[in-house]
Amino acid sequence: MAARIEVAELVKEFRIPQRREGVRGALQNLFYRKYQTVRAVDSISFEIPAGDMVGYIGPNGAGKSTTIKMLTGILMPTSGRVISNGFRPFEERSRYTKTIGVVFGQRTQLWWDIAVIESFRLLKKIYDVSDADYEARMKQFDEVLELKRYLNTPVRKLSLGERMRCDVAASLIHNPPLLFLDEPTIGLDIVAKDHIRAFLKQVNQQYGTTILLTTHDLADIEELCRRLMVIDRGKLLFDGPLEELKRRLWRETSVKFDFRDREQAQKLAAMSIPHVSVERCSELTCRLTFPREAVSTAEVIRRVVNSVEVLDISIEEQSIEEVVKQIYTGQVLQEAR
Amino acid sequence: MSLRVFAEFARMGFLDMLAYRLRYYTGVANYFISVSVYYFIWKSVFAANPEFGGFRFQEIITYVVVGWVIRSMYFNNIDWDLATAIQEGKISMEMLRPVNLPLSYIGRAFGEAAFRTVLLCFPTALVLLSVFPVQGPRDALHFGVFLLSLLGSVLIVANVNFLVGACAIELTSIQGLLRFKFWMQELLSGLLVPLALFPAPLREISSWLPFEHIGYTPMLIYLGKISWAQIGRTLLLECFWIVFLLAFSNWFWNRVSRRITIHGG
Repeated sequence: MAARIEVAELVKEFRIPQRREGVRGALQNLFYRKYQTVRAVDSISFEIPAGDMVGYIGPNGAGKSTTIKMLTGILMPTSGRVISNGFRPFEERSRYTKTIGVVFGQRTQLWWDIAVIESFRLLKKIYDVSDADYEARMKQFDEVLELKRYLNTPVRKLSLGERMRCDVAASLIHNPPLLFLDEPTIGLDIVAKDHIRAFLKQVNQQYGTTILLTTHDLADIEELCRRLMVIDRGKLLFDGPLEELKRRLWRETSVKFDFRDREQAQKLAAMSIPHVSVERCSELTCRLTFPREAVSTAEVIRRVVNSVEVLDISIEEQSIEEVVKQIYTGQVLQEAR
Repeated sequence: MSLRVFAEFARMGFLDMLAYRLRYYTGVANYFISVSVYYFIWKSVFAANPEFGGFRFQEIITYVVVGWVIRSMYFNNIDWDLATAIQEGKISMEMLRPVNLPLSYIGRAFGEAAFRTVLLCFPTALVLLSVFPVQGPRDALHFGVFLLSLLGSVLIVANVNFLVGACAIELTSIQGLLRFKFWMQELLSGLLVPLALFPAPLREISSWLPFEHIGYTPMLIYLGKISWAQIGRTLLLECFWIVFLLAFSNWFWNRVSRRITIHGG
């Protein structure tokens, strides 16, 4: 399938004025300033095919939002190439923005003091949406997002969840083939999150809308995204399916055994199995931890149940949060690449 | 940008003002106070001489009253709106719309002008005209041309405000510049003192700037102080300024928006 977004060696640098301290420093600042160049996005390249849903994650300040702002045409790249929907986003912004939808979770594109419906009306005119299309879409939005209740309320009186539903709907009023969401579920309760996720899934399936979303909530990724990109300090560290990330980083498995009596637990604690470290968690439980490559889970369990009497077994998977934390804290940076 | 979209932005500007209409209930009083101050100043000036700077007393009072009445209409805050949008980063949401950004702000200024006409300009006119000795326009034709020139006032003010507000991209603190522009406009539009009374060098400078078309020349048309030939020349000049400012705003915005930095969020 044709690529919706092509990014090659994209770089964004900001010049940050260096402030000197004290009265003397402040006076010096008046006359000449020193600047420091910060590379917010450092030569990243990727492609996103049409119809994909891609999660873009990274710690605060990693360069996620800066990337999104360049992809949406708000910021001019320092160097590198972006082609999205066949346009160069910054240079051809006025034509390009007709073909995309954008949601910034921390901001709203709705008019703060005016009823929501008026913002929708303005967008309808701006994007030149026909009455029939407009009606049909509003009906669909209402079914999943339950918008009707809020339409006559000024945005400033909406709760965050209500506002976000309206913002997501507003970004899709012209049915764009490409949608960017920057932290769309930030600060939302679980019900609102579910609404938004269900809606995005539906839009993606029904219209084949390509979606790129940034998030800190990994449940968004697990539920929505087939593909994951991880960025940190401006560099793309990983690009691939979530499963692959887990496979690469998830290097240890733990299995917990429960026992009916202490002797059995003692017996296991004293056992020695190659590659496996045994930890006595409590009187009646032991945890066995072992590297995935060295020995299989089935093998470990077989050896244990053959020699001791076990009441219960639970395999403890590493959560995606832990996997990602490993990346953020730099533990597995190089291996992941 | 199509006229329909422009009109829609004007409508949004109008509705936006409506949300804060309470703020304008005190407006009439403010204008009344300003005009009263000028009334007494001019009264003392004219106590000694029957004519001053080519104006008779009733003419100057008319100049002051009608000058403030039209100011209540053409004045707008899009410089602050744009500067805050830039400083708070809200501008990013506006840049995502496939519209010409300068025109969308000027559209909003028109909505604001429409709102002000109804909620501020008419009530202010009603109060001021019933209190102060104001003379009518020269004749119906002069009045018509005067109204036409006011359209230009709104466009010039909106454009200048857009340009000044856009400087927020380059400046960390924009308050000083906005204040400076505010007083430049009050002075050079002839609101505080008719430009005819300015010293020659200042008069020369102001003739090279667009500000006098905001208030001064419309007032001269209203009073019938200039000939039709001069009126024609003035209107042409006004049109030039509008076209120039629109083009310049677009050019300026395209340039500075390259250097925009929006941190966080």
